[in-house]
Amino acid sequence: MTVMTTHLESETAEIKRRRDPFLIILWLVLVVFALLWVAPIVLIAFTALKSNAEIMATNAFTPPETVAWSNFSGAWERGNFATTFQNSVIITVIKVPLGLMFSAMAAYALARIKLRFGKLLLLFFLFGAMIPFQVMLAPIFTLVNGFGLIDTYPGVILPYLAFGVPYQVFILHGFFKAVPKELSEAALIDGASHLTVFRRIFLPISLPVLAALLILDFVSTWNEFAMALVLLQDRNMWTLPLGLMSFQGQFSTDYGQLNAAIAMTVFPAVVVYMIFQRYFVSGLTSGAVKG
Amino acid sequence: MLKSKAMQSPRTQALMLIGPAFAVYATFAIWPMIEVVILSFQHWNGLDPQREWVGLENYRYILTSDTVFWVALRNTINWTILAVIFPPMIGLLLALGLNEQLFGRVPMRAIYYLPVIIAPIAVATMWRWMYDPFFGLFNQVLTSLSLQAWIKDWLGDREIALYSMFVAYTWQYVGFSMVLFLAGLQGVDRSLVEAARIDGANRWQVFRHVTLPALRVTLAIVLVLSTISSLKAFDIVYGMTGGGPAQSTQMLALWAFMQSMQIFDFGRGSAISVILLLVTLTIVVPYLRWSQRDEGAAE
Repeated sequence: MTVMTTHLESETAEIKRRRDPFLIILWLVLVVFALLWVAPIVLIAFTALKSNAEIMATNAFTPPETVAWSNFSGAWERGNFATTFQNSVIITVIKVPLGLMFSAMAAYALARIKLRFGKLLLLFFLFGAMIPFQVMLAPIFTLVNGFGLIDTYPGVILPYLAFGVPYQVFILHGFFKAVPKELSEAALIDGASHLTVFRRIFLPISLPVLAALLILDFVSTWNEFAMALVLLQDRNMWTLPLGLMSFQGQFSTDYGQLNAAIAMTVFPAVVVYMIFQRYFVSGLTSGAVKG
Repeated sequence: MLKSKAMQSPRTQALMLIGPAFAVYATFAIWPMIEVVILSFQHWNGLDPQREWVGLENYRYILTSDTVFWVALRNTINWTILAVIFPPMIGLLLALGLNEQLFGRVPMRAIYYLPVIIAPIAVATMWRWMYDPFFGLFNQVLTSLSLQAWIKDWLGDREIALYSMFVAYTWQYVGFSMVLFLAGLQGVDRSLVEAARIDGANRWQVFRHVTLPALRVTLAIVLVLSTISSLKAFDIVYGMTGGGPAQSTQMLALWAFMQSMQIFDFGRGSAISVILLLVTLTIVVPYLRWSQRDEGAAE
């Protein structure tokens, strides 16, 4: 437990720091660890690009000699990826923006409009962020079935919205609460409605937080498995994680294609993360963790 | 102003803004939670129009006759304890290290965070393959290091399957704690750290007396989030072992699901859910009260 985190800013300290053996050891440890951490991902990428003969013949961490793109097209065909990919895209593209909008509206009202039961309402929302939905798969199924929405897009999107709202309201409420009064008061005195103030002032300044929440929500919607498993029974309505699970069950010995299937499932989330990641830590800091 | 009177009332506007979120949340999140409690006192196969009230029968059965329930409970508790200790601890150490001005710290942060965005079901598939007793990576590496004696059936051995699974879980979630701690470290007062160093404090002392106290709120958030996410371990168990071998890796969330959706005993499944819900509440409610009091003090 000797790892430490401080650095001095003065010139002398700067020189001392460069030769600090502690930092050199720390760096080496972090690099070795990072290599270990990234190893499974490298392994997936390499295996996905090897033919089955090459997988058996070569070391797992040898880069592929001839790139076997056919694994991807093969897995795409056999795993019915065209359908599952399309379903995942439709569900995510509708759910994520809609959920963020609902959450932002509610968070604004709870943070900036004085309500008699405001505090209680906030607590009511907060509560949901703490409750694992995995506990309630059966009653969610019963409810959605009661609406006749099993195997439909709304049938998954509505529960997804419900379980996304609490955490987002929690983060955005913290952010909106911290916005100085002067910013909105003048507009309100001039007769602007809360809807206008929300749209014209609060939405624009909360873009970094919304971007951070967008990543989180995109990733968790794209990756969601348990609820989809219960609510989507028809193969043609399956999302990517369900397709991958079934692919593993059927073709688990075709390692090249299996790893190509994993790569295709994971890839879109990685791309979205890379596009928005510069907002990620800054967005989170401004809302949640500042305390 | 041509707007109607109703539009101008702040209360009406608030209702319009909160309405959509409230409606969908109350219907699809809160109602199922109430329903699960109701179902736990009933006997129902999920299809019949009639649901029969059976009082505490489901609870009696689970607590006295269902041996898998006790295995699942013990596994869930073990898993939660491990999940509250290891990923946050490793995450904190990584955050402290990667908060230094080190060469390549940005790509290293990205590497540690990368597994977080991979679908848990894909992580399960990956690791299941790496754990394969014949072709898997682990046993191949052990063979090439001439450590054949260490070769194991990682997911097929009842003694170690749970811990093999936990290694995959740790690999995935360390980055999550790390990012939260990194965010928290940005709020540590630099002048305090410098003052302590000038006064001759060593690294450990600065950490113990300056950094750690400043991370108090972050630490609480990380621990609570780790606890909650460990209680809902579902995808990874479903994908890696399905609760096997011989139910030795069964967990409460998965067992509740199997009772309801595979054995079609919604009553018993719901009773298991209610017990897991109660466990969650005993952790969450004190935290909520603590955070509310903290906020009250700040105002």
